[in-house]
Amino acid sequence: MELPILLDQLFPEGHRVAVDDWLVSGEATLGGQPVAVLGSTNHVFIGIRESLALSGKLLDIVEKRPGIPIIMLVDNNGQRMALDEELLVLPEYIAHLLRAQQLARNNGHKLIAVVYGNSIAGGFIAFGMLADRIVSVPGAETSVMKLEAIARVTKMPLEKLQDLAKQVSVFAPGCENFFRMGGLHEMWTDDFSNRLQKILAEDDAQDTRAALGNERGGRKAAQAVIDEVRG
Amino acid sequence: MKLTPRISFYEASARQRVAGILDPGSFREILPPTEQRISPHLGMFGAPVAFDDGVVAGEGTLDGKEVYIFAQEGKFRGGSLGEVHAAKITGLLRRAAIRKPAAVIGLFDSGGVRLEEANAGEIGSTEIMRAILEVQRAGVPVIGLLGGSCGCFGGSGITSSCCDALIASEEARLSVSGPEVIETVMGVEAFDSHDRALVWRTTGGKNRFLFGKVVTLVDDHIPAFRAAASALIKPSEPLTVASLRAERARLAKRIDEYGSCTDARQIWQKMGLDADRVPDMTAAELTAAKPA
Repeated sequence: MELPILLDQLFPEGHRVAVDDWLVSGEATLGGQPVAVLGSTNHVFIGIRESLALSGKLLDIVEKRPGIPIIMLVDNNGQRMALDEELLVLPEYIAHLLRAQQLARNNGHKLIAVVYGNSIAGGFIAFGMLADRIVSVPGAETSVMKLEAIARVTKMPLEKLQDLAKQVSVFAPGCENFFRMGGLHEMWTDDFSNRLQKILAEDDAQDTRAALGNERGGRKAAQAVIDEVRG
Repeated sequence: MKLTPRISFYEASARQRVAGILDPGSFREILPPTEQRISPHLGMFGAPVAFDDGVVAGEGTLDGKEVYIFAQEGKFRGGSLGEVHAAKITGLLRRAAIRKPAAVIGLFDSGGVRLEEANAGEIGSTEIMRAILEVQRAGVPVIGLLGGSCGCFGGSGITSSCCDALIASEEARLSVSGPEVIETVMGVEAFDSHDRALVWRTTGGKNRFLFGKVVTLVDDHIPAFRAAASALIKPSEPLTVASLRAERARLAKRIDEYGSCTDARQIWQKMGLDADRVPDMTAAELTAAKPA
C-alpha cells in the first residue's frame, strides 16, 4: 500500500515523517505517546550504504529518544546484488544493522515491523525479520526466491512446484505462507492504529515465531527441536 | 626439514572438524543421527534426507574450557539451512544463553537457505541471528570458523557475520549473494561465477581478513583453526551506542576509501600491498604484511 496512506492510517493522531529519497524517518503520536518511525520505500535494495543510513537513524533514536517504540516500515526488493558491494563485505554491514536493532531492544525499545511493500530475502532479514513483532498490511509481498528460480536451482519442474505450493507453505512466496510458518505474527486488513497499540502492549521481546509456526501448522518441527536441544 | 602433515578443514566432514577442534574425546552430541530428526519437507520433493539434517550440535571442551559447538555439513545439500537444521542451531544458542559456557563455536559451511524449505530456512536463519545476539547479551561469545567447501553465503553469510569474531582460511568464502546468484540475476558481466580467481579474491578469506571482519587468518589446517579459536575465547563485548558508532564509522570509512573499487586487486594496492603477491602469501605472511 502507498506510504502516505499507511502513515495516516497507522497514526491518525499525527505524524512528522520525512522521506529522503528511499529513507523514511520521523516520529508519530500513538495513544498519546511518541513513537519513532523508521523505514524504506520505493522498493529500495538494501546494500552497504542503506544499512549504514538505517543504523545511523537507529543509533540516533537510542541516544536521543530512550525507550520509545520503534515502528519499522518495510519495503525493499532484497539485498543489493553487486560485486562491488560484496567486495566490501556486505554481510558485515547487514550484521551491523542487526546489532543496532539489538542494541535498541536491549535498551528497552520495542521493535514492530510493518511490511507494507516488498520484503525479499536478505533485505527482509536486514530490516524487518529481527523485529520483536512482524505484521503485514494489504499490498505486502514477502518472498525468499521466486518459484521459477527455485525450479531452476532444484531442477524440479515448475508445474510440480506450483502444485506443491497449493498444499504446503514451506517454500512458496506470499504473506499467507509466511504467516503459516510463523514469519508474520499478524496480517492486518483494517484498524491499523488500534492493532498497532495492541501489539505494542503485548510485545514481550521474546522470539515466538517457532511456536506460531507450530500452532499454525506450517512449521511443525522447529519448536520441538529447539526445545529438545535447549534442554 | 620436518613437514607437518596438513589436516585439511576444507576436505573434512563436519564431524571430523568438530573432533579436531575440541579436546579429544570431549564431544557430546545433542540429537545425534540415531535420534533421526530428519527434514519433514524434503520427502515431498523426492530428495534424500540426513538423520542429522546436515548439522552437528553439542558440547565439549577446548583447552579445558567448556564450549558449545555446531558444525554445518557441506556435503549434505550444501550445508543448507532447513527447518530442523536451523532449529538445532537456535536451540544450542538458547541453551548457551541459559547455561553460559565459555563460548559457542560455529563451524559454517553453507550455501544459505535450503530452497525446498525456503520460508522455513529464511525464518530459521533469523531465529539463529536473534539467538546469537541474545547469547552475546548474556556475555557468551560466538566464534565463527569459515573454510568449508561450500563457503558461507545467503542467510549463513549474514548469520556468521553476527559472530563476535571470525576465523577463516584462504579457502573460505563469505558473502550475502553467492557469485552464481549475482550472475543469474544481474548477468555474467556483473559477476562471472566461473572465474574462480575473481570469486576467491572478492569473497575469499584473505579479502575478508584484510578488511578486519575475519580476525585471524589461518592456513587450511584444523589444528590452526583450533589454536585460533582457543585464543579468541573472552566474554562478548556489550553493545553500546559508542561501540556501534565506532563500528559504523569504521564501515563508513571503508566506503569512503574503497567504495569506488571494482576489483580486490585495486583494494590491495590502495592498502599498500603487492596485489600480485597476495594470492600466493601464506596466512602468516599476509598477517605480517597487513596494514595496521
